[in-house]
Amino acid sequence: MGAAILGNMRFTVGWLYPDLMNIYGDRGNILTLLKRAEWHGLEPHLVELGRGAAAEMQDVDVFFFGGGQDREQALIYDDLRQYKQESLQRAVDDGVQILAVCGGYQLLGHYYQTADGERFDGIGMLDVKTEAGKKRFIGDVVVQTGIEGMVPDTLVGFENHSGRTFLGPGAKPLGKVLMGKGNNGSDKTEGAVQGNIIGTYLHGSLLPKNPHLADYVIGKALKRRGDGALSHLDDSAELAAHGWILQRAQRR
Amino acid sequence: MIRKTAAVWAGKATGTLSRVTRRGGGTTLPGDVARAIDPKILTRLAQDLTYGSIVITGTNGKTTTARLVSYLLEGAGHRVVSNRAGANLIFGATAAALDRAGADGRLRADWGVFEIDEASLPRAVDEIQPRATLVLNLFRDQLDRYGELESIAKKIEQALSTLPEGARAVLNADDPRVAEIGLGLPYRPLWYGLDDVSIAAKTLPHAADARTCPRCGASLIFDAVYVGHDGVYRCPNGDFARPEPDLRATDIKLNGFESLALTIAGTRIELPLGGLYNCYNVLAAYAVAYSVGLEPQYIADRLKTFKPAFGRQERVEFRGRHLVLVLSKNPAGFNETVRTAVDLAKGTNYILGLNDRKADGTDVSWIWDVDFEQLKDRARVVIPAGVRAHDLAVRLKYAGVKAEAPETDPGKALDVLIKNTDEGDTAYVLCTYTAMLDIRAELVRRGWAQPYWET
Ligand SMILES: [Zn+2]
Repeated sequence: MGAAILGNMRFTVGWLYPDLMNIYGDRGNILTLLKRAEWHGLEPHLVELGRGAAAEMQDVDVFFFGGGQDREQALIYDDLRQYKQESLQRAVDDGVQILAVCGGYQLLGHYYQTADGERFDGIGMLDVKTEAGKKRFIGDVVVQTGIEGMVPDTLVGFENHSGRTFLGPGAKPLGKVLMGKGNNGSDKTEGAVQGNIIGTYLHGSLLPKNPHLADYVIGKALKRRGDGALSHLDDSAELAAHGWILQRAQRR
Repeated sequence: MIRKTAAVWAGKATGTLSRVTRRGGGTTLPGDVARAIDPKILTRLAQDLTYGSIVITGTNGKTTTARLVSYLLEGAGHRVVSNRAGANLIFGATAAALDRAGADGRLRADWGVFEIDEASLPRAVDEIQPRATLVLNLFRDQLDRYGELESIAKKIEQALSTLPEGARAVLNADDPRVAEIGLGLPYRPLWYGLDDVSIAAKTLPHAADARTCPRCGASLIFDAVYVGHDGVYRCPNGDFARPEPDLRATDIKLNGFESLALTIAGTRIELPLGGLYNCYNVLAAYAVAYSVGLEPQYIADRLKTFKPAFGRQERVEFRGRHLVLVLSKNPAGFNETVRTAVDLAKGTNYILGLNDRKADGTDVSWIWDVDFEQLKDRARVVIPAGVRAHDLAVRLKYAGVKAEAPETDPGKALDVLIKNTDEGDTAYVLCTYTAMLDIRAELVRRGWAQPYWET
């Protein structure tokens, strides 16, 4: 029944700072959300939310917030608080989804503290805090997700960060690290889930090789409009790439 | 002096041994050995050169540009020592110098032409004391070490600030990051850039990464985009803009991977290499050759007969099929090779190869910033290959490109390509560094190509 109703339904992805926070190929997440929405019979639509006042934020179903370099990240701190924070909070309260990777994940938390002890405040929508570590965590990551009912129950990606992120009681980990370092390299957790927000360190890009997570996010965003049932897509190519990483992880 | 001679001898012996045992063409190991005996060996050898050294750095185009410069110098009767075969670390430069040193430990050559990776430039400038230093571009390259790019730019600026008396810095004005370095120097470098809006794009590709003004952080305005973030740019607040080039290329004509032509200061240059990115390489080589005194007309005549390096538009023939091998190692590079293959060469058959070994970069996320959408409805056969063929297959699926099944075995990928390519047709092999090595090793095994240290 889904397809007929979904057919006329617009599905809007809001990309936060596409020009400044897209250094690690995270654009793959945008392409995946848009393409899969189309294959599910929705009308995909992209809104690019650069610096400055942001129109159309109220139309967004899923926000994506990627990672950048220190120099670029410094350029968006004020803008995020001035023009985006309020709309993001209202959207999330309304059931809109946010997926944040790496730098975006850190900025949604309480703060990021540099090696010299300087603190950059985040917008505090996720109950996490991040402090710079000495060694950069770089490499493949395999996570066993804590999201119920997800098949397969693994997520694969590539991490590249020196931040050590620790979760407060308000956030739950996205999953347990089977390979790689994850949030901080010490407590075996990776990412954070809090209400309608998912934060993670996984690049790769994340969603292309984890189509089950992509559909989970799309489905949840649609629920607030009364229908979260999605059609079944042929994900053999995506899951082959997913499985290839799992196989290599087992060989190591 | 005895130490230098001993180091030269030990290094040379290692080079011979490693070539005999076929371990990578003996490109850097001799350097390691000689440097262990005499850490100043490169400085001592460089001092033997009649005229001095030229050092070339940048993310893309080092190998081709170094080869162009060497070719120009050799044609003018100079003896040139250079580090070929992609061994562009300081050890490779040392090994190359050793290879040409005589039994007395003296380097018998007129010029050194060394390609040096960006991170090693400060050390290379310090040890070699080059006459000319060329900075081609600074693109986002291997993501797993990308965090270092800001600090690399700072180091390059420092290195260029301390060039020896009378030395030149030759810089690409069209690259905002290189311009930022050059504008901070205590002297004016020699700037070069492209000037032909007819071949320019108006918007930045997704692979572009230098989009903001280094002074005030505003988004740069691009009046022309040539390759990646290289083009004609300015800050809307007026505090940063592309420096006025001293040497500019105009009237650019591109003919697939076959050839290109352009005019520099009234001299028409024709080169048997294709692609807009090679316009930058030939302009850079011209700028260096010109800065050390070669005549424009000589440069133009000589370039007509240039031959490319390993895997850079190298051509391989097999039973009437033509294979063109094009190294494509990062988003800016891959975007350009795909664009050249599709738009200019009208190519329809492809192997796209992606590996994630150390020399390729272990993070393959960047493929999502390459505009593979260009292949949609225009490519007939696309074979995702390499260690990470499955990732490429997914990328192509989301680009709407119809592709064959992913093939991690290079031999099988070649079989599928040959099977689907008619006699007389041309197929394109676009690969990251070690994926290209793998394909090439297979071509050598089948007797279709020569081992690379013999070409
Ligand atoms: Zn500015």
